[in-house]
Amino acid sequence: MNIDSYTIVFTGLGGQGLIRLLQILGNALMIEGYKVMTSETHGLSQRGGKVTCFLRLGNKMHAPIPIIGTADMIIALEESTILDVLKFVKPDKTTNLIISTYEKHEIGIEYPSLEYLLEILFKNSDNIHFIPAKEIAVKFLGNLKTMNIVILGYILRFLPIKREVVEDSLNEYFSGKKLEMNLKALSEGQKL
Amino acid sequence: MSYNKIVKGKTGEEKFFLGNEAIVRGALESGIDVYTYYPGTPSSEVGETFMEIFKEVGMKWVERSINEKVAIEVTGAAYARGATAMVGMKNVGLNVASDPLFALATTRPKNKNSAMVILVADDPQQHSSAVEMDSRYFLKIFKIPALEPSNPLECLEFTKEAFKISRELKLPVILRAVTMVSHARSNVVIGEIKPSEIEDAFDLSKEVNVALRLYFLELKEEHIYHRLNKALEMSETSSLNKIVNENAKNQFDLGIITSGVSYSYVCEALDFLDLEAPILKIGFINPLPERKIVEFLKQFKQIFVIEENDTFLETQILAIAQKNKLNVKIHGKDPFSYSKENTLLPMVGELNPTKVALALLKITNLKPRIDLNQINDKKYNVLARKPILCAGCPHRTTGYALQKAVKKIKSDTGKDVYFFQDIGCYTLLALSPFSFANVKYCMGSSIALAQGVAHTSGSLSIAIIGDGTFFHSGIPALLNGVYNKAPILVLILDNGWIGMTGQQPHQGSDTRYYKEGSSKIAINLEDFLHGTGAYVSTIKHYENNDEKYFPKLRKLIYEKGLDVIENRILHVIIIKDECIQKTIKRQAPAIRVIDTELCNNCGICFSKFLCPAIDSRKDFAYIDPLLCLGCGICVEICPNNAIKTEEPL
Repeated sequence: MNIDSYTIVFTGLGGQGLIRLLQILGNALMIEGYKVMTSETHGLSQRGGKVTCFLRLGNKMHAPIPIIGTADMIIALEESTILDVLKFVKPDKTTNLIISTYEKHEIGIEYPSLEYLLEILFKNSDNIHFIPAKEIAVKFLGNLKTMNIVILGYILRFLPIKREVVEDSLNEYFSGKKLEMNLKALSEGQKL
Repeated sequence: MSYNKIVKGKTGEEKFFLGNEAIVRGALESGIDVYTYYPGTPSSEVGETFMEIFKEVGMKWVERSINEKVAIEVTGAAYARGATAMVGMKNVGLNVASDPLFALATTRPKNKNSAMVILVADDPQQHSSAVEMDSRYFLKIFKIPALEPSNPLECLEFTKEAFKISRELKLPVILRAVTMVSHARSNVVIGEIKPSEIEDAFDLSKEVNVALRLYFLELKEEHIYHRLNKALEMSETSSLNKIVNENAKNQFDLGIITSGVSYSYVCEALDFLDLEAPILKIGFINPLPERKIVEFLKQFKQIFVIEENDTFLETQILAIAQKNKLNVKIHGKDPFSYSKENTLLPMVGELNPTKVALALLKITNLKPRIDLNQINDKKYNVLARKPILCAGCPHRTTGYALQKAVKKIKSDTGKDVYFFQDIGCYTLLALSPFSFANVKYCMGSSIALAQGVAHTSGSLSIAIIGDGTFFHSGIPALLNGVYNKAPILVLILDNGWIGMTGQQPHQGSDTRYYKEGSSKIAINLEDFLHGTGAYVSTIKHYENNDEKYFPKLRKLIYEKGLDVIENRILHVIIIKDECIQKTIKRQAPAIRVIDTELCNNCGICFSKFLCPAIDSRKDFAYIDPLLCLGCGICVEICPNNAIKTEEPL
């Protein structure tokens, strides 16, 4: 398929498995035949603080970082972190915002209220998707670590990629029981 | 896993490689024999990958050296002998390796196969560094060629090119990467791997590999006027220095000169602005191709030099324009003004396509399709999160015990206590509420810094250093302190590994727990320290299940601190408590839960001890099962016995 450029912004907290998610999806898109580029964050920058990474594909894409106001999709693996990357939202409000409802509170700092969050988000996008990834991971899969793959399953509907290719990619990163679990998580995400 | 990923695959196949993985592949395709390194973000994965695959792939030697100076010496001699050799480090590592490199660069191996590449990975924006440092001016000091790739695909190509240039010139070549290249991942087309072969022709005649006063000046002359001169010719004709969009026209008579990752930002910004401009992309960054630059400058009324951090290119291009009497306006950072007003791009921090687009807008007055300034002006109430130690991190336990012990030392003696910090995860103890940092510079400096105050003050000076950093460069300072009877307390936070860069083993790591361990001899830190004549105490977590660890640690620090104040002696405490990230790879964490009947929400666990897995929900504390890594210290410090162990989900 011919795509000029498509940009996904990933945001979350260090240790949430954001880089692994980026690799699985990026690898799948490459297998599907796209030119892909991602940027990762390693080392100290991962320690508990916020992490923002990018995944870009297309023939007219050059850099691992996009220009602000041009992202096609933003995925926040922790609810409040969506506020950190809103500058990448397109001014025409078409950017898909995929937000995990998982919350990580900080002592002594007020967590953004849902009212505030919704007010801001509605100003920025007409395509907001809240995903109760943590609840799904616990209820249907019995393993919290499958949260990110539930999200991956959900976003497949927006991407020009076949499920089988994502399965191939998962196969490269997991095996045995873990693979089985993640394939189930992918299905749960797709079903939402 | 690495073997399948990096080594397997046919020529022409596409791989989804990290920039660092592409560098490994490029070296394998150059027939690399030897790789040595010291881990440092963003360069570490290169060494880790070599370490994993080198035996299977048939390389002669790979080692994680004790520090960068040793790493470059090991590789340097292999190069002199005739090896295809490479050494890797981050930018500040080059500071450590710089002493041998000066002589290494000037001497000339006679073996026709000798080739040496030095990977130096800079970290603009200091994502994972103590300082932001542009390593490029070192190229002028060492007078060696350097290549700078702009993406993972070029990482592979440029690595191969670097070996070729080095083999031909008999000069080491620096391969300069930055975080956004080393840690970008993209489609990379692979070629054929060359087998590792060293042809032994070690020439011991004096003029070859020995920098000695008798003939060094002769060597230096040959280095500059012969080999460097040849390097310049290579740079002039190299396809790595190329004009992109050669026929592009714009109404501003504007051309762009850039290199490395900035090139990708320029392309992105030009596309965004629908602006067309020829770009001189410099891949061979030292020596710069003067003739090629002059030809390019002649074609335009305006030139924009776009580079990250220092004005390495711009300063030289300004000089080239002046020398060749060219009347062209050169935009950039104005290296001579040190003024924020005169700069189109910042000299501090990383660039990105948005910054480049905004700078281009200032020169051209174009109207962009999206108002970037308007977006930048929007502010939201983002949750301010500080970088923190992992849940279950042993440094938090040490920090909390140190805080309690120091409070008591201060109140019992009336003396002040100063903290001298080092480079590692524990540097985060410098942040509030611990604030353990009066002075901190670079790797291995804490022990000497403590001496600098202790000799002239009656206060207690405490050096905080990790085991990895101690091996890297803390040892000479400790010997200096013992010799000079420095009254300091040294805390060696022995978590068993080089924690921050990904838990790599160091010279003291337990050989049972890592793959290549069986071929290494772990240096016993305690025996070593006893041998120096220092007073040494050791405390170990998980040693005795009957005795609580936390109060024991607090008491030990208190007692030895008093001893240093009263008897003016040097005392070392080795605190053995393994990096939790490593422990959980061997055993599933015993996740803790709050007993809501017993918890009275006193806050000791979440606001004093500051475990990031714990926060407060209405009437009691809450442990996030996704974050708890099961260190169990919260159980010891909870005054209400309200924390229990639960089976993992």
